[in-house]
Amino acid sequence: MRSLRREPTLLLALLAIAGLVALFIVYPQIQVILTPGSTGYVDFLTGGTWVRPLQNSLLITALSTTTAVTLGFVYAYAMVYSDMPWKPFFRLVGILPLLSPPFVVAAAYILLFGPRGIVSYYVFGQSPNILGLYGVWAVQTIAFFPFAYQLIADVLSRSDARMEQAARNLGAGAWGVFRTVTLPLTRPGLGAAILMTAIYVLEDFGNPALIGGFFTVLPTQAYSLISGFGDLTGAAAVSTILLLLALVLYVAKIRLDGGRSYVTVSGRASSMPRPPVPAAASRACFVACLTLAALILMVYGTLVVSALTVAFPTNLRFTPVHFEYLTAQNLSLRNTLTYGLAAATISAGFAIVAGFLVQRGTWPGRRVLDFLLIMPAAVPGLFFGLGYVVAFNQPWLDWVDRGALIVVALIFWNIPVGYQAAVAGLRQIDRSIDEAATSLGASSMRGFRDVLLPMLRGSLRVGFVTTFVRAVTTLSLVIFLFTPQTTVATITIFQLVNDFNWGGATAFTVADVGMAVIVLTILAAVGGRRGLALGAARA
Amino acid sequence: MRRRTLLKLVGVTAAAEGLAIACGGATTAPTASATTAAAAAATTAATAAPTVAAPAKPTGRISVYSALNESTNNDFVKAFKAANAGIEVDLLPLAAAGELQTRIRAEKASPKADIFIGGDSSFHDGLGKEGLLEPYTSPNAKDIAAEAKDPNNSWVGWYFGIFSIVTNTDRFNKEIGGPKPTTWDDLLDPKYKGKLILPDPIKTGGGYIFIATQLFRFNKDEAKMLDYMKKLHANIAQYPGTSPQSIQFVSQGQFVACPNWAHDILTEKAKNPGIDLSVPKDTGFEIGAVSIIKGSKVLPAAKAFVDWVLTKEAGELNVKLSNRVSVRKDVAPAPGAPTLDSVSLVKYDRDFAAANKDRLLKAWQAAVGI
Repeated sequence: MRSLRREPTLLLALLAIAGLVALFIVYPQIQVILTPGSTGYVDFLTGGTWVRPLQNSLLITALSTTTAVTLGFVYAYAMVYSDMPWKPFFRLVGILPLLSPPFVVAAAYILLFGPRGIVSYYVFGQSPNILGLYGVWAVQTIAFFPFAYQLIADVLSRSDARMEQAARNLGAGAWGVFRTVTLPLTRPGLGAAILMTAIYVLEDFGNPALIGGFFTVLPTQAYSLISGFGDLTGAAAVSTILLLLALVLYVAKIRLDGGRSYVTVSGRASSMPRPPVPAAASRACFVACLTLAALILMVYGTLVVSALTVAFPTNLRFTPVHFEYLTAQNLSLRNTLTYGLAAATISAGFAIVAGFLVQRGTWPGRRVLDFLLIMPAAVPGLFFGLGYVVAFNQPWLDWVDRGALIVVALIFWNIPVGYQAAVAGLRQIDRSIDEAATSLGASSMRGFRDVLLPMLRGSLRVGFVTTFVRAVTTLSLVIFLFTPQTTVATITIFQLVNDFNWGGATAFTVADVGMAVIVLTILAAVGGRRGLALGAARA
Repeated sequence: MRRRTLLKLVGVTAAAEGLAIACGGATTAPTASATTAAAAAATTAATAAPTVAAPAKPTGRISVYSALNESTNNDFVKAFKAANAGIEVDLLPLAAAGELQTRIRAEKASPKADIFIGGDSSFHDGLGKEGLLEPYTSPNAKDIAAEAKDPNNSWVGWYFGIFSIVTNTDRFNKEIGGPKPTTWDDLLDPKYKGKLILPDPIKTGGGYIFIATQLFRFNKDEAKMLDYMKKLHANIAQYPGTSPQSIQFVSQGQFVACPNWAHDILTEKAKNPGIDLSVPKDTGFEIGAVSIIKGSKVLPAAKAFVDWVLTKEAGELNVKLSNRVSVRKDVAPAPGAPTLDSVSLVKYDRDFAAANKDRLLKAWQAAVGI
């Protein structure tokens, strides 16, 4: 990338991105953080009620991140390297856990594995107490492995087969290649995966709230402070602690990465195939993925059966009646689809451009922008939404369309994963490739558009998929923002659950998740065909 | 208000559209201006002679924040519109009064709601004390007992909810046995260990009313109340975040019993006869309230809504839809529903409960260690 002074378009793009980040990420958060005033913070911090939630948060983050990233790595390796069958099926199942509207999925876990759970009690005769640390750990592992899987798979798919072949030719065994070549080269993806998973676990509110029992973590404590005590001071202080922890994780990741190079895509073309993975490894991958898929499908199966029966699990007679809510409440489904698509498209595009400007740039202060683009992941949705209300619900802004405001909130709240994917992807691509374009006379932006962007399609997809699925399943972000005309599916689900209407709630969930699955399937079909044209980058 | 109205009237169509969007979107610009003008006129009239009714029937589009159940909402609004031609309703449903309260607070720079309905009066009272509600005395409130009304008129009660206990019949008979609990102390039986749940006192109105009820049962002796809550905690498996979810858990048989709202228990019992309702001695109750948000631009229509909520017709409809008890003496309770006269009530000091809420909850948190 050339200096900013010589390329005004680059400077303009950078200023635009920095301005939008300041307006839609920093400003609303400052509104929340500054509300209490300094004495409020001091009182709260000396009160010490945050100590145990902090300890719990750190513990669960360490546990869930370890298991979720391990599982994500195995899944990604199986998908990219192994020769296991049914890959399209596993690709879909691998992102299903992201499609978990709050309340409903956790409720399904309790139906299956609770004290009188269908599996735990009626199959195994056990009456376990899943509420608490172990329940949260298990559910978070399943809920968050898709982030790790997506980020790692994207990096693995771009790793260089020649290095692995070279290692093979020099006499390394399959395990040796994996340990000394494959694993080290995934470090940018692994680092991004650990960082993102840890931050999302840290911020997770829904799972601890529903199956945490007495296990209080920082987000649940903040929620209690806000909704029980109307204590914005304490809640903002907890929110600030979360942001500080995210900052610590971020710095740790930077240190971990060090200044090493992870370039696997250089100017020299390669069409060498990967060395084959041993058949036993492929079989093991298949079994592992199948087990996980069975568990995930059981949860979603419970929802489908609930939606189609009179009163699950007591009355299993078939009925289509619950789906009548779809016609009565189709506005919320339509809004969800519109907002999700709009937010995902813009968020993914924004993340790639921002990733390019930060990763390839040499301008001062880019570490700050880098962190600001990851920070929203550490902000619980409830606070992000609250910040938007406090900042933007002003008389002189009453002309702003609320649907647009929800879309903007979704874009910026969900940027981190797409942005991380873009940065990890760019780190694999040799600078000489875009420099070749610029030295041939192209502007930096043109080099980005015509050379880098086609190679970053995978990262773009990660950003789109993550934003889209989070947009269609978030409740906490929209709870302060929605209006009668801009209501969304999760609000309807929440209402039906609280109206003793499990059938209606699950029917709506099935429709919501089904709609998202259809969108993602279309995307995979379109993206897959385009992907074939990118043989060089995909090796 | 005056200045803003003027701006809106002289302003270009954009301003009127802004208002339309703020109120929900579908209104056309001319209607919005007309409404504003009518509201301004009516406000002036009301200030001059507060007791004289508006000459014309109020019209406009009101925005209602409702914490009522989803099934209650729809039929309720439909009936209101049938009785008040000319008033359109934009309903924002969220069965979580605490969140609605926070939202109204967060929106105070430019209020988006005209009416806040449902939830215990404490959620309304807090907003009223902060000056976010428009005081109003409905002519229909005169027949309602003083204890169900705010002395400052910022809210008015229109239904009662009685706290009671839901039990899973099958599990209760097998694992606890004997008669259903008749006192709160019955719940301290060690047989309940790990089988009892209580709606989270911090996140739910019901959970806090439970704590306050215990306090008043012990004549405001906080040490005794905390001791009771500590002993109860030994039996509690979880404090779920919403009251309806707690009933669902008992209905599924995940847990044996849970203190909860009588009307909601009856609603679930209609679907699953395998649960039972019992009202212990010395119980507490909530006053479901309705209030007008300060800054409403369609005040006459908002007042018409409150007037209608206090009618016999609305009371009967609410009984039918949600099994709640109307504050009106001339509305019969739902079949099988306990009423304030039929149960033994604790001497519930609502002002004390509201004024000491934060302190008591923090004391409770410290006592049980969560």
